Amino acid sequence: MNKLIKKIMSLFILAGVTYALYQNFSLMPEYQGLNEGLSSYIIESGLNDTGSLNLITAVLYDYRAFDSLGESTVIFGAVSGIVLILSRKMLPVSSKGLSFIVKRTLGIMTPFIALFGLYVITHGHLTPGGGFQGGVILAAISIIFSIVYGSAFDYRRYSPQTKTALETGGAMIFLGLGLAGIILEGAFLHNLGFLTAETGTLISAGSIPYINIGVGFKVGAGLAIIFYSMIQKTFEEDF
Amino acid sequence: MPIRLIISYFLMGTGSAFAVVTVLGLLRFPDVYTRIHAGAVVLTISAVLVTMGTAIYVWNFFLSAKIVLIGIFFLFSNPMATHAIARASYKRQIALPKEYEIDAYSDYLGRDD
Repeated sequence: MNKLIKKIMSLFILAGVTYALYQNFSLMPEYQGLNEGLSSYIIESGLNDTGSLNLITAVLYDYRAFDSLGESTVIFGAVSGIVLILSRKMLPVSSKGLSFIVKRTLGIMTPFIALFGLYVITHGHLTPGGGFQGGVILAAISIIFSIVYGSAFDYRRYSPQTKTALETGGAMIFLGLGLAGIILEGAFLHNLGFLTAETGTLISAGSIPYINIGVGFKVGAGLAIIFYSMIQKTFEEDF
Repeated sequence: MPIRLIISYFLMGTGSAFAVVTVLGLLRFPDVYTRIHAGAVVLTISAVLVTMGTAIYVWNFFLSAKIVLIGIFFLFSNPMATHAIARASYKRQIALPKEYEIDAYSDYLGRDD
């Protein structure tokens, strides 16, 4: 008897979900060919809708922001799995690093690499780039620290706990902006209207720059965690 | 043709000639150290000459400053990378040149072999 009630309830839930999905998909326009379909709409009115000069960023973080949230969740799952499998202990690995010349040269160059990564992240709605690309550049700094200065240096500067906090903070920024879209605009991840400004300036395009910053720190910290988990091996050589 | 364009074309052509020299060296040299020595040419000389030529070609202050910064980055990064690769392959004894008569780095390290 109990099983029958369970089956009937699940059938009701399935019917409700089917009805909701049908109502949603019946609103979609029919296929109109590549020339006059959705892409031409985005090309024509994407700038007016979002205020973002970079239309790819407009699609990624405004029209299809839900997909980007899913991609960030995929990266989070990958980082969790790799850390679970590969990293038995979060201990600093001792290695001396490369020679004196490489250390000095990268000591000069690393701040500029960080500046470039932050530039790519914060100008994601104006120029090519965005959160994912700038995050990878930021992760390269941690990889440089691990290889060139030895991973104990990387552990002292940015411990895995700091990286985990940064990654979680990035995801929280993304989700918080989505929830703010529910409260202020009425839809999940809706572009926040009160943040729009003149097109082309640094702080414009609604909530897109803040989503970029969140995704950038999340991707950078996640890739740095993946790299740090994969070098859990003591190597003695001094190259 | 203004003399600025002539200078920029001369710089770019010289850089391309050094790139050809690099390809010849990579194909003809026998072992890893001489090939590293040949491959270092293309970013230290050739890319710097081409960036200087491009900076003279566009002749706009901000664009030229950005291109010159890229050239300075090449000047910093590529000898460092070549040094790191050569030192690592020496320490790992990848193709250690036994037949060389002079091994100055081994003398510097105080090594007997």
